Amino acid sequence: MSTSTSHSPSLAPDRAAAPVRTAVPRHYGRYIYLAINTAILVFLLAPIAVVVVFALNPTPFIQFPPVGVSLRWFEKFFASRDFMQALGFSLEVAVLTTVSATVLGASAALALARGNLPGTRLIVATMLSPLMLPAILTGLALFQTYVLLDVGRPTWGLVAGHTLVTLPYVVRTTLAVLHNFDTRLEEAAQNLGASPLRTFFEVTLPLIKPGVLAGAIFAFIVSFDQFPVSLFLVSPGNETLPVTLFNYLKFDLDGTIGAASVVSIVLAFVVVIGLDRTVGLRSYVKL
Amino acid sequence: MMKALGSSRLNRRRFLTASASLGIGTIAAPYVARADDPTLRITGWGGKWGEVMKAEIGPAFESEFKCKLQTDSAFPYLPKLQASSRSAPIYDVLHTNSNEQWAAAEMGLVEPKIDPKLVPNLADVYPYAISDKIVGVSIFTSAIGLGMRTDKGYSGVTSWKELWDAKYNGVRGGYVIPVNSLGQAFLMMCGTLFGKGQLDLDAAYAALEKLKPIKIVDFTGAMEKMLLSGEVGLCVIHDSGIYRYDGQNQPTDFVSPSEGVLSLEQVLTITPGSKMKELANAYVNYMLRPEVQKRLAETVWYSPANRKVKLDPKYDAKLLTTPEKVSKLIQVDWKWYNERKDEIDQRVNRIFRA
Repeated sequence: MSTSTSHSPSLAPDRAAAPVRTAVPRHYGRYIYLAINTAILVFLLAPIAVVVVFALNPTPFIQFPPVGVSLRWFEKFFASRDFMQALGFSLEVAVLTTVSATVLGASAALALARGNLPGTRLIVATMLSPLMLPAILTGLALFQTYVLLDVGRPTWGLVAGHTLVTLPYVVRTTLAVLHNFDTRLEEAAQNLGASPLRTFFEVTLPLIKPGVLAGAIFAFIVSFDQFPVSLFLVSPGNETLPVTLFNYLKFDLDGTIGAASVVSIVLAFVVVIGLDRTVGLRSYVKL
Repeated sequence: MMKALGSSRLNRRRFLTASASLGIGTIAAPYVARADDPTLRITGWGGKWGEVMKAEIGPAFESEFKCKLQTDSAFPYLPKLQASSRSAPIYDVLHTNSNEQWAAAEMGLVEPKIDPKLVPNLADVYPYAISDKIVGVSIFTSAIGLGMRTDKGYSGVTSWKELWDAKYNGVRGGYVIPVNSLGQAFLMMCGTLFGKGQLDLDAAYAALEKLKPIKIVDFTGAMEKMLLSGEVGLCVIHDSGIYRYDGQNQPTDFVSPSEGVLSLEQVLTITPGSKMKELANAYVNYMLRPEVQKRLAETVWYSPANRKVKLDPKYDAKLLTTPEKVSKLIQVDWKWYNERKDEIDQRVNRIFRA
């Protein structure tokens, strides 16, 4: 006992030192964690920063450091009939694509999750295959199909092409929420007298809404920024913004490209914020 | 409750029907509206060219010939033409550079020559515009030479060979040869400068090796910006890429090397399967009219192919508007080049990758 008593004072500093030894790595660990996250953020945001600098720089070429701040490229962008037409057309196509991809994708996901279909895995893999095929080949293949069908390059053809490449996003995100879906809730609703349609709209849809909504957002953004598929499917006078930008930069590589990119980024934010305000995106943040 | 649900179902159905009708109507309206007009489908550039075509030249043609001009300015033209049916091609008139026209002609996608009886203005063009190096007709040309900064003490540049001078290391500009017509034409020039002629590829490859270090870009527009920003001091470029900044006090100038300038032709061809042959020939003839040539030449700084065009003095002084100036043009044998393109691409990729 005496030994242990005599040793006890010497143990005290050791115990006191123990937290210090662990605090140092934790301290460094936090800094390392912050540094890695900061690096990832910089990596993600640096291109946007470059685009913004390019858009606000008054010189007709990329210059760093910038020599001033000017809105001349935004003025040129908004004054250009071609760019405005392209922006409007891109929005129109993105909205139509979002609607079609969401309806088709969510329906397909429901059928796959509930339908007890034979070869479900194969069907899922097939529905996701547009993501694996180079989009430019998808565009070329669709173009050739339309030519064979002698339908020209109609707007619905472009929407169909965009739907094809955005459908996998909706299917995947809807399947994700359906995976953990408690079917007893639907059974309970039907036991209480609700028709299948009412059960769908009042029970199923609200529960799978996070997945459907996430897919719809992906569909809108992917369609709005879609270039390789659009390249072959746009028709004269009906060109999307990315295609117009590509054609423009072959002849005029000035800050208008940067201004158009900033407008696109802002529009993406507006869509997300708009969805947040209208359907409460924050409640689905766990997705 | 059931009544309310039934009412809701009806409303939803009505809403969906109305939305679908509106969507279909929006999509179909332009096609319905244009269904009766004969339509000539052409390709064309964007930028200033596209602006003046859309605002003036195109509408004037439509008005005179009672038709619609449908211009595709979204690249790439050739794969789209290839993918469409030969008997019902996607374009009636193909406007692109000479190298692509030769590729199209080799595949039978465009007619190799324009009939002078159907296009009377062909009688007035410079010989280069309908030479054996041209498929169809060249309606304009640019001169490929050297672009230089005038504020870096590089004055006195007179020869292509000065691009190899060590003082331009770090500020020398060129192109990704497999994808850029100027780069391809320059490769042929290297054979002329350091070998037995355009077809001397070994001499050209050796010259390209010695050209490093060099900043290379895909698009001519990117080279213009690099020159304007001072990132390059001496580069291969076409005259219109320099002259278009005329009046903006930019410290850049175009040099016509003493060995000659390369020709970058704007070529029109007609597709064999076109159902609008008469209108297509009328369009080619229209584009060769002196007043149309003048308007476009003075907008985009292209040298007109029609000998009878009288440009304003500012443009006349710089563009190729006399037989003497035109004689400095060197045309590239694109047929020969295209036959060897894969081999050339592989070789130049190796050179510049290293």
